[in-house]
Amino acid sequence: MAETIIQFDHVHKAFDGHPVLQDFSLSIEEGTFLTVIGRSGCGKTTALRLVNRLIAADAGKVFVKGKDVAETDPVTLRRRIGYTIQNVGLFPHMTVEKNIAYVPTISKSPLWKGEERHRRASELLQSVGLEPDLAGRYPRELSGGQRQRVGIARALASQPDILLMDEPFGAVDEITRRQLQDEILRIHQEQGITILFVTHDMEEALKLGTRVLVMEEGRAAQFAPPSGIIAQPATPFVAQLVCRSRDFAPRQ
Amino acid sequence: MMELLQSIFALYAERGDWFLSLLWDHFLLSGQAILLSGTIGLLLGILISQHQKAAPAMMGICNVLYTIPAISLLGILIPFTGIGNKTAVIALTIYGIMPMVRNTYVGLTTLDPDILEAANGMGSTAMQTLLRVKLPMAAGVILAGVRNMVVMTVSVAGIASFVGAGGLGVSIYRGITIYNPAMTAAGSILIAALAVLLDFILGCLEKHFKKRGS
Repeated sequence: MAETIIQFDHVHKAFDGHPVLQDFSLSIEEGTFLTVIGRSGCGKTTALRLVNRLIAADAGKVFVKGKDVAETDPVTLRRRIGYTIQNVGLFPHMTVEKNIAYVPTISKSPLWKGEERHRRASELLQSVGLEPDLAGRYPRELSGGQRQRVGIARALASQPDILLMDEPFGAVDEITRRQLQDEILRIHQEQGITILFVTHDMEEALKLGTRVLVMEEGRAAQFAPPSGIIAQPATPFVAQLVCRSRDFAPRQ
Repeated sequence: MMELLQSIFALYAERGDWFLSLLWDHFLLSGQAILLSGTIGLLLGILISQHQKAAPAMMGICNVLYTIPAISLLGILIPFTGIGNKTAVIALTIYGIMPMVRNTYVGLTTLDPDILEAANGMGSTAMQTLLRVKLPMAAGVILAGVRNMVVMTVSVAGIASFVGAGGLGVSIYRGITIYNPAMTAAGSILIAALAVLLDFILGCLEKHFKKRGS
């Protein structure tokens, strides 16, 4: 049995008096690919941002590798956790190579000094399915899918054990999204990294996750392997989500 | 008109050394003020972008200072700092701070929030975010402010001779007092030329940053 790497312990979080997470508890084992799905405002992004302490819990605790994040230095914590968002947020004034090398650079990693930087960035580009000669380009010269891949390479640069992904493929076309999904599946299988992946697409959640967490109004509605979600939806809301992803309702 | 032009060129030919030394003084005088207001304005702009509660007050003060007519600002300073280059540099510095503060503030507070979220989420310290992400991305807007300030400082420095400072204002002022319009025009043309040249150089720099960023 694998060890617990992330744990939410009775977490409450409210924004402007409106509760977003209520008594939220969850244990995630090392190596899990957890997909988190739910409607807008259900607290899925909030849960993700609690892990790297971009926000702090009002009550309850979040543990990463057994340590309370409230007692961990946020800068050190974040450098050990990969983070990608829907709009990628590549730095427009830096080349692809400098973007990828960002975390090692700000952490003054000796592994990325001089010639090594180019070699390692090229390796990472290849590992996310891009040509190494993109290293010298600027983000504006890339397509949406390429940017997303560079964003993933950047998140993997410091060899984190945990990767947080907030609707990373929400803004790309259907075909590119499928390619990116296959790519991240492969990366997960090869590197055994723990991934928390927020999405609003049930098909994506079921395709990628080794575990799926369905959230409903700040609580966990169901936490199960994808097969369990399909076979035994725990609430009518989960059933509705599963049902939607199976049946197409073509316009007449 | 032709006559005026002819006498201007005659002046340049006759008193070339004098005009050259005035031009050099003018460059040094405005250069000092440009360096000072550039540094102070940049720092104040960074400060209020990090502490946004202080921004309206700071912008208010800068705007008020900016609306004081340049010549009266010079006059107001005389009792405190006397006459000469020092007073002129102080007045020009105060004057140049406003466009610097405004552009630095605007440049730093209108950045793409997704990029800042990424910088923050990857574990940048506040200083690293500022130096590696925010300032380089705001460089284009800040440089536009520098350009504005430089042109203004160079031209306003033309009236600094009213408080006994050097520079091309000396020839303008002398032209007025001895009723020699050619001398006034000769000084003004050199000021305009200096301003246009500096503006052109900074414009090239600005284009470079704008092209690189976003």
